[in-house]
Amino acid sequence: MEELGMHNEPQSVMDPALWRGMTQKRFTRRQTLGLSGVGLASLILAACGSPSTSKSSAKVVGSSAWWQAQKLNHVVNFANWPYYIDLLAGKHPTLEHFTSTTGIKVNYYEVIQDNASFYQKIRPSLAAGQYSGYDIVVMTNNNPQLGYLMQLGWLIPLDHSMMKNYDKYAGPLIKSPSWDPGNKYTMAWQSGWTAVGYNNQQVKNPGTSIEILFDKKYAGKVGMLSDPFELGSAGLLAIGVEPASSTESDWAKAATKLKQQKSDGIVAAYYDQSYIQHLKNGDIVVSMCYSGDIFQADLNSKYKDLTLLLPDEGAMLWTDNMCIPKYAQNPLDAMTLMDYYYDPQVQSVVEYYNDYICPVPAAKEELLHPTGWNKAALASLNPSIGLPTSVTADSNIVFPTPDRIKASKSYYNFKDQAEIDAWNNLFLPIIQGA
Amino acid sequence: MEQPLPAHHPGGVGSPRRHRGRGKGLAPYLLSLPAGLWLLVLFVVPLFIMLSITLKTCSPASGACVMTWQWGELPHVVNQYRGQFVTSLVFAFFATLIDLVISFPIAYWIAFYGGRRKNFFLIMLLVPFFVSFIIRTLVWEFILSNNGVVLSFLRGNHLVPSSFHVLGTGLAVVAGLAYNYLPFTALPLYVALERIDRRVLNAANDLYATRRVTFMRVILPLAIPGIFAAFLLTFIPAFGDYVNQEILGGTSNTMIGTVIQNLFLIDSDYAGGASLSAVLLVISLLGIWLYARLLGSRTIEEYL
Repeated sequence: MEELGMHNEPQSVMDPALWRGMTQKRFTRRQTLGLSGVGLASLILAACGSPSTSKSSAKVVGSSAWWQAQKLNHVVNFANWPYYIDLLAGKHPTLEHFTSTTGIKVNYYEVIQDNASFYQKIRPSLAAGQYSGYDIVVMTNNNPQLGYLMQLGWLIPLDHSMMKNYDKYAGPLIKSPSWDPGNKYTMAWQSGWTAVGYNNQQVKNPGTSIEILFDKKYAGKVGMLSDPFELGSAGLLAIGVEPASSTESDWAKAATKLKQQKSDGIVAAYYDQSYIQHLKNGDIVVSMCYSGDIFQADLNSKYKDLTLLLPDEGAMLWTDNMCIPKYAQNPLDAMTLMDYYYDPQVQSVVEYYNDYICPVPAAKEELLHPTGWNKAALASLNPSIGLPTSVTADSNIVFPTPDRIKASKSYYNFKDQAEIDAWNNLFLPIIQGA
Repeated sequence: MEQPLPAHHPGGVGSPRRHRGRGKGLAPYLLSLPAGLWLLVLFVVPLFIMLSITLKTCSPASGACVMTWQWGELPHVVNQYRGQFVTSLVFAFFATLIDLVISFPIAYWIAFYGGRRKNFFLIMLLVPFFVSFIIRTLVWEFILSNNGVVLSFLRGNHLVPSSFHVLGTGLAVVAGLAYNYLPFTALPLYVALERIDRRVLNAANDLYATRRVTFMRVILPLAIPGIFAAFLLTFIPAFGDYVNQEILGGTSNTMIGTVIQNLFLIDSDYAGGASLSAVLLVISLLGIWLYARLLGSRTIEEYL
């Protein structure tokens, strides 16, 4: 017994509670026999286990052989941004439906406030080769973190044989995007524009230009976003430069324009997601904004004063992408969930609540004429949303017309870290001024 | 020839000298070993790790750091964030000053007139601070928001112009700092005033000192170490604070704590963050050194 225990110590497969039990003396004879049996069993398991794990690590993570070796665990941990999924009485109808049809339980965490700080939270686990706690995370293409995850090999390549809905229904806007050619690692969750939102009671002649953000008439009542990539891109649009094809000297000019805006006292503050609350409260009357936020508020009778403006200079188009971080414990469950959201019936329910740019154009028809379970789901959501589903279906903000898409702008694609540093050095000091 | 000193002599060194062996000389060092180890493991080692990071280059992608001996990082960030340092110094100074002005009368009253209920009054002073720091600050944000209770009332009654606002101003940050760090000022002041020997005051009275003269020439000088301790205990954390600025501040009053937090948690610029933290630490140590020089190191342990 003692001998066995000594040998067992370095075997991490053994339950620590069992180990603790074995090192204590007060056993009945029967327990001791039983325990030694378990101890032996775990030793044998460990002996068999180590060669098999080394064999499976020979299969490249994300290869089809690797995917075939995966099994459903009937649970998936999903990290997403807040207020980004259909919500009814504290529950998410599309997730409930997913669980009832597939038997996969979803732990849905609204933990992502911004790309940079969320990346900082999962990075230590990934760098140490451990499970981050999430099987799906949602990262935006306008920040460098999604690129970091791909470059460092910290994303599991998707199983394309499990993307049946995606292949059939994904819209051209998000299919095989420039930041992830061939959808090797990502599937879009939603897209949206970074545009201008204003209070139509206080701003009478908004015009159609981004210059409204620089108008001295609204000094002290203008909100800007604290994300340096959003702020810099808005500055570039304001000086008439395409962000995607801009140069470092353009960035400097944009920074000068934004510094001027700040020193003129026009900017009330540089906000994260909280700008929408300040816009609703009336602390600010015009602000940089995310399209879905204003559209949601606009439709809500209490905040009908808020209007969305997609300026003539263009609006930045971004996409939030679902991806599977390396060392995920439930990759097969994650794939199942990701493809599930490309079912037009499912997407119609999400979009009725969300009002961002829908990745599934066919959801429009499902909003107008629901054909399945979504009919009941949409009906149950209706009282809290208070508008017919046709409003969402007919909106060119949710289902954009081709000219809307053409007027959208892409973010600058950073070639290396030096460029990111150069960008940050220009725009971060504006956000955190002394 | 050595004359043995009487055993009861207060400065008696005779007998220890006679018995001193090799082991005895080490005794004080051995006795201070736990404290020394504590200081080494939890202060000196982390300090050197932090200083070494200032010389490393870290990848914002993987977070991995490589030693590149880049001596330029510290002067670079200090220069880049000079303004934020000045803002922090000014804000922390005024917040501490406000705290001293507010808490001196409170501490004085409790120490001299609290009677048997001193502890009760002290608890009353501390009760609001049992609530989490962040929650208290968020509640101030709620109370002082533009359309909040206070400003709506003031504007509605035309007591302030319609453009008047508190949030986002330096004043709001200073007020938040002063509020949150009040106990750090009040308690050392109370300790200093409480331990003043009442017989000294009676003596001053016997020597025909007026109450004013007693206060100025007896109480205040005796309270100086406590005032200085209160100043340090408030100023140092307020100087590095970022919560108040993040919640109550605006665009043009960023404090150095906010910058460090952003460098570490958002930009992954560990070298920059570590450099600024090192400077912050040096400033704090300078304060403590100054205290030790002016008031003696013995009084530090009584208050800090």
